[in-house]
Amino acid sequence: MTPPNDAHSRRSSEGSPAPQGSAAPRLRRTAWLGLRPAEWALVAAIVVAVLLTGIVDSNHSYFRLPWQSLTDILRNTALLGIFALGATVVIIAGGIDLSSGSMIALSGTIAATTMLALAPKEIMAFKPVGPAVVGVGVLAALLTGFLVGTLHTWLITAVRLPPFIATLATLVGLRSFARALCESCTLGVVGTKSAQINVSDPIFKAIRDNVWIPVAVFALLAVFTWLLLTRTVLGRHIHALGGNEQAARLAGIRTENVKWFAYCFGAMTAALAGLFYVANESVAAPVNQGRGHELNAIAAAVVGGCSLSGGVGTVPGTVLGAIFLRVVIDAVSKIIKTGADVYEGLIVGVVVVIAVTFSQLGALAKGGTRLLPGAIGLCAIPTLSLLTGALAAMTAGRNGGIATGVGALFLLGLLRVWESRRSTT
Amino acid sequence: MSQRTSGCIPSDMSTSPFAVRMLGITKRFPGVVALDDVTLEVRRGEVHAICGENGAGKSTLMKILSGVYHPDAGVLEVDGRDTRFTGTRDAERAGIAIIHQELALVEDLPVAANVFLGRERRGALGLLDDSSMAEECSSLFSQLDCAVDPGDRTGNLRVGDQQLVEIAKALSLDASIVVMDEPTSALTEVESARLERTIQRLVAQGKTILYISHKMDEVFRLADRITVLRDGRHVKTVDTTATSPREITGWMVGRDIAGHDFHGSRPRGDKLLEVRGLSLPWPEHPRGYRLNDISFDLHAGEIVGIAGLMGAGRTELLEVLFGAGDDTWTGSIELRGRPVRFRHPREACEARVAMVTEDRKRLGLFPDLDVAGNVSLCALREALRNGLLSRTAEEQLAAGPVRDTGVKTPGLHATITGLSGGNQQKCIIGRWLLTKPEVLLLDDPTRGIDVGAKAELYTLIDGLCRQGLGVILTSSELPELLTLADRILVLAEGRLTAELARAEATEARIMEAATAG
Repeated sequence: MTPPNDAHSRRSSEGSPAPQGSAAPRLRRTAWLGLRPAEWALVAAIVVAVLLTGIVDSNHSYFRLPWQSLTDILRNTALLGIFALGATVVIIAGGIDLSSGSMIALSGTIAATTMLALAPKEIMAFKPVGPAVVGVGVLAALLTGFLVGTLHTWLITAVRLPPFIATLATLVGLRSFARALCESCTLGVVGTKSAQINVSDPIFKAIRDNVWIPVAVFALLAVFTWLLLTRTVLGRHIHALGGNEQAARLAGIRTENVKWFAYCFGAMTAALAGLFYVANESVAAPVNQGRGHELNAIAAAVVGGCSLSGGVGTVPGTVLGAIFLRVVIDAVSKIIKTGADVYEGLIVGVVVVIAVTFSQLGALAKGGTRLLPGAIGLCAIPTLSLLTGALAAMTAGRNGGIATGVGALFLLGLLRVWESRRSTT
Repeated sequence: MSQRTSGCIPSDMSTSPFAVRMLGITKRFPGVVALDDVTLEVRRGEVHAICGENGAGKSTLMKILSGVYHPDAGVLEVDGRDTRFTGTRDAERAGIAIIHQELALVEDLPVAANVFLGRERRGALGLLDDSSMAEECSSLFSQLDCAVDPGDRTGNLRVGDQQLVEIAKALSLDASIVVMDEPTSALTEVESARLERTIQRLVAQGKTILYISHKMDEVFRLADRITVLRDGRHVKTVDTTATSPREITGWMVGRDIAGHDFHGSRPRGDKLLEVRGLSLPWPEHPRGYRLNDISFDLHAGEIVGIAGLMGAGRTELLEVLFGAGDDTWTGSIELRGRPVRFRHPREACEARVAMVTEDRKRLGLFPDLDVAGNVSLCALREALRNGLLSRTAEEQLAAGPVRDTGVKTPGLHATITGLSGGNQQKCIIGRWLLTKPEVLLLDDPTRGIDVGAKAELYTLIDGLCRQGLGVILTSSELPELLTLADRILVLAEGRLTAELARAEATEARIMEAATAG
């Protein structure tokens, strides 16, 4: 066993080895066409992923059915992107919102139960309920978002819970609440308990059938959020709050109010996304709708350059992060074809790790840090090889799996040897 | 433990007169040469002070000595042996212990656990042997002649005591060379004096001390020899008896610093602030109050200095005036004859009261915003054009105070953390100047700032005062208050024990009042 190298761990814990004061102050990285280098890298990654999928996919559906493929990706990206923008604002403000998936379920349920209460016959008969009822349902859902955001802020600022705990509580609580609400409303109005409510009003159908509606809403919301974060006093205060909360308060910023806005924005964007999920599936189903989506939103923000310690992040980054995530998920479904949703979580996990590691590749190449140091690095080699091997075995059969696993073992071993040699010379 | 250690090549086994020799040390970081051919020779058993402005390379040199960094060129000899450290553990084994400027203690662990962190003693069954560690710890503290309970939670100790924990750690390592990187920057005068006694005791035990400090009086009391670094280069090594503080600071900044004094009388204006019977309760403390019955006035064009030891209530007083503390105080505060009671710093800003906080990094800077963003933050509304922030307007807004306060920065886009401490502080003062304050509260504004920048800040503060601001200034350094203030209030344990006009104030009288029971 080799113990960890002290010099190495010391150095990495201190971040950049710039000596005090004397280093020439860095200038802000220049943006080209409004995007930073890391964001251009994401653009490139998206293009590469699309091209690879088009070639590797045995149906070549990107070439044969470009329109349908594009529509799929656009719709999924828009739905994810809407509440990823909310997550971005919360994360930049130095918080975290784990509850957006449950908020999606609750929002749909609130809209559906409101409509059910106002027009029970039409809902049960799959008939139109009219724009007024739909409008009330939508407003009720958005209002719920505001209330949940307020609840989060209260828990965080007055009860002084850490954001992680407060929104973890609502992550489990809100979905349960939505299910109970759905059952008791259907029991009260119709007479039988139901775990879901069908929504087949033409307005929702129109949203389902016209992909440009969610895309336009996403685009408008992205522009709004971008203006908010870069061109308003509130946006600057959000950055300041996330960067240094105590200093923000001492600079006269009403930090509680800024948090209030951030968490309400997070919850209301999730509520908005929830309405689109109901439209897409023509049903409000609180048991599974939006389940686990909070992590996709956080992943999109992080891949797009948000720092979970707050203060850092951009709207273009999150938009690209959401596109990248959906493109990769779509690529897997095109390549694997049946049962691809099984791999969705795995793909999101791998993509997040790779995207965040990517930003540190510079340091690795320069020889500052090692990817496989000490005993941990040694044990990581078989772990990673087994993981890739097992993945390959499941998708490409036993022999492919063994070949991939052995190949990974060999390559990682080579990397380890190279790194050890480099550090001794 | 690690087998991958240094190649300790015994080249000369005869006892060298030098505990440490660093010859021709060069260290480059991307874009900057931190050390350029620096030579440092430390004799066994001496106190060797290393002086230099921030960025002179002192800390980098010490990090090389303690194995954190590798030099790009140069030779390191410890006890006459050519040495190459591959990590801090190697340096510890060679008998070198470093006490960093920012203490590296785990606050939630008890004192004894911190002293033995990473080298825990184990008893039967390989379980932790807490009692033996606590015992050893007690004996170390009694060597240091201080009463710290090894079982206390480290975070509950005062900064001075936490530093003693680090020193105890160094002793427990049986270090023969102890490096102290600006140890007194966070200490009160009493704690500094205790540290000096500790250092003398360590020297008496035959240890070699490397002492980094800005404070000339300390350096001249403690050090046998002084090495001055400037811009990563070695300037001079001299015997303390053969030089003067003036000469040393001159070498540090590369020019002769005149003793700045702002005795020129400033015109005193209207009464701005009237504080009467201000008390701040502290229920969970035996004393019962943080501040008790404080009364004073502040006029326009006047600098009122607040002296006091750590814990005397200096910061608490400013926080009450700024609405940043708990809103449970009693008494009255009148601003221009109008009673005020700020519940949030926002209200203080609106009433034209500004506060530059004590701990720049923790309470003042926004590391993710650039220079312009940090300066314009409190007055952003003035940069709105058609309801949206305009970067151009923001830069115009920030350019004013950046110029007026003399911030040295490559541009308004520069990252704030890349500036030196003095320039960061000027940015924060500039931020508040944009709010057009009438009362400026400065809480220890020159802490951790080098000599040259301090003088610039004094000129700046004096200039602001001449423009009609009322300034309340706290400082942990008495000469600073004597240089700047028209009047000095002395706090001792939350009570106002003296109010001295400049003419009658001396360091001795202030210390007497600050330690009044």
